[in-house]
Amino acid sequence: MSTTEDLRSAAIVPGGTGEAIITLSDVDKFFGDFQALKDINLVVGQQEVVVIIGPSGSGKSTMIRCINHLEEHTNGRIVVDGVELSGDIRNIQEIRRECGMVFQSFNLFPHMTVLENITLGPRQVRKKPKAEAEAHGMELLTRVKIPEQANKFPGQLSGGQQQRVAIARALAMEPKVMLFDEPTSALDPEMIKEVLDAMQDLAESGMTMVVVTHEMGFARAVADRVVFMADGEIVEVGTPEHFFEDPKEDRTKLFLSQIL
Amino acid sequence: MTDGPKDDQGTPLGLRAGGGAGDEGTPIAPDLPELPVSNIKELFTDNLFKDAKNTVLTLVFGSALLYALYRGLTFVFLNTKVIDGVERSGWEVVSDRLQIYMLGPNFLGTGVTLSSVWIGIAVLLAAAGIAFGLLSDPDAPPMRPRTRVAMIGAPGLGIVLILSMTDTITPKLLTVAVAAVAFVAFRLATRVPDAQRGRVGLLALVLLLVAFGFMTGWDPSNVNDFGGLLLTITVSLVCIAACFPIGIVMALARRSSFPLIRPIAVAYIEFIRGVPLITLLFIGQFALGFLFPPNTDTPGPIPRAMIMITLFSAAYVAEIVRGGLQSVPNGQTEAGQAVGLSPLTITRRIVLPQALRNSIPPLIGQFISLLKDTSLVVIIGLQDLLGVIAPILGGEQFRFQGFSPEAYAFVGFVYWIICFTMSRASQRLETRLGVGTR
Repeated sequence: MSTTEDLRSAAIVPGGTGEAIITLSDVDKFFGDFQALKDINLVVGQQEVVVIIGPSGSGKSTMIRCINHLEEHTNGRIVVDGVELSGDIRNIQEIRRECGMVFQSFNLFPHMTVLENITLGPRQVRKKPKAEAEAHGMELLTRVKIPEQANKFPGQLSGGQQQRVAIARALAMEPKVMLFDEPTSALDPEMIKEVLDAMQDLAESGMTMVVVTHEMGFARAVADRVVFMADGEIVEVGTPEHFFEDPKEDRTKLFLSQIL
Repeated sequence: MTDGPKDDQGTPLGLRAGGGAGDEGTPIAPDLPELPVSNIKELFTDNLFKDAKNTVLTLVFGSALLYALYRGLTFVFLNTKVIDGVERSGWEVVSDRLQIYMLGPNFLGTGVTLSSVWIGIAVLLAAAGIAFGLLSDPDAPPMRPRTRVAMIGAPGLGIVLILSMTDTITPKLLTVAVAAVAFVAFRLATRVPDAQRGRVGLLALVLLLVAFGFMTGWDPSNVNDFGGLLLTITVSLVCIAACFPIGIVMALARRSSFPLIRPIAVAYIEFIRGVPLITLLFIGQFALGFLFPPNTDTPGPIPRAMIMITLFSAAYVAEIVRGGLQSVPNGQTEAGQAVGLSPLTITRRIVLPQALRNSIPPLIGQFISLLKDTSLVVIIGLQDLLGVIAPILGGEQFRFQGFSPEAYAFVGFVYWIICFTMSRASQRLETRLGVGTR
């Protein structure tokens, strides 16, 4: 079928600068007998923003959690910035250093101040001196517009502020790729915008981003490519224009009709 | 015994603190259990004497309570007994033998001088004062009067007790002096800025060792002659300090994914938890020696008891800490992994601090039980605070035969003072670390 060929080529031709930074080839993931990912092929280009959408349980989160090995893929190959993910802990840690991740539930460290949250990774992993790590941390907090919260504890911040701290924490490692796992799903509606704005700024600065989200407005405005997943498979890949104006697959149409 | 992490204001401190508030009356009116008693008159008309049934109940329980109070107060304040035609105060069994309760029957005369012991006590209390001071939150609002009374009440009662039980002026003065040292250390420690707290805490630990040095007259083998309260406190401190790290390691080992480590930890914890402490103490006295190579000096009975109590408590601490570890959401580990932290760093910097903070209430509970469990060493012949009673009652041609109620009441009260103070300290620690808030 030509549509399958189209899908394949749309998925594996990297956008952005055209140079691949994340490559998933024939990736499968099983949880026991349940197959969460089926034969995933996707190439993300440098400076590209890829937004992944799909119904819940479709494997979106599992896929991006495989990229930094929070989940272990069962079959296939995952290559990030030239390093292939294997069981080797050094490889895994090398890849994790290059992939910042932002979680749905923030996962800030509640016993540390905002600034300590941000500087822990650089100081422990990159062995940066304290002063340098803190200066960079303050810079990032300024970038996400909450420098005045540096010495508070996460519990004293609103959800939107916490998620921006989480973004700053991920950026502090100076990653080449940022992975976002439903970053706005746990937020009150009035706080979603501040987080999306921070993400949009980041995209405009040329960061490579893979974003799992239900925010279609964000997908339309920021994405270079939109990936639609269902039942553990990539069903359709395309530019936002193609995607929202002229979807090809029935499952995509059904999904979009349900949420738009 | 231990209070939960909730606010302590509901505890009827007056009732526990010494029976002074016994006239509060029993809660009557079961159909109106939460009736707010706004004044004394309402208490009588609406509660105590509302109708015939309530009146009868009030009279029955009230008179029983008053009688118990009367007996209690005469026991404490008007306690005389006539023995062989001589009238003696019942508290002689304490005041004449105070030194034995504090230090044990064999301690003095082993080369440790009394002045060295007093210096040791002063240093020990300075360390305790520092520890308490460091736990206080400088930004906290001023304590409510009731909390303040509870904080200083138990140690204060202890001082009053010692003052009332000493006949000569020197020990009275020295008691006040060491109490003053503790208080000054406490006040100074409350003013230590956050950044220095770790270092000052270390100083408190060093002071603890120095105190031990003075207590033993700088000869650790004198430990074997420790007795009384000194033995109870030494065993408790050593065992608490030793079982805590072992327990943490065991808790981590029980969650480890390495093939052999987990079964070993599980076997250790389940074995220890399945055996009574008394059995372990006997094993320590009679079987532990076989684990040492032949012709080596095995540790004396007191260190052996310490080893067994430590091993015993470590298993319980391990389970408490494991519970704490489970309370830390998996997302914390994932967030650490996502930043590229090593598993060791994730445990040390992220998971363990949160787990331990969540474990404080049950941990302190465990430490309080440990302190009370040390009294079981009586059964292997050690003369700790409880164990000194038998030689006191039986000593000197049974001079104190018939004085056991006073002796046991005194010892029980001393245990209570220590345990209650520990429980308050734990609540300070919880507020300080913001358990349940941050």
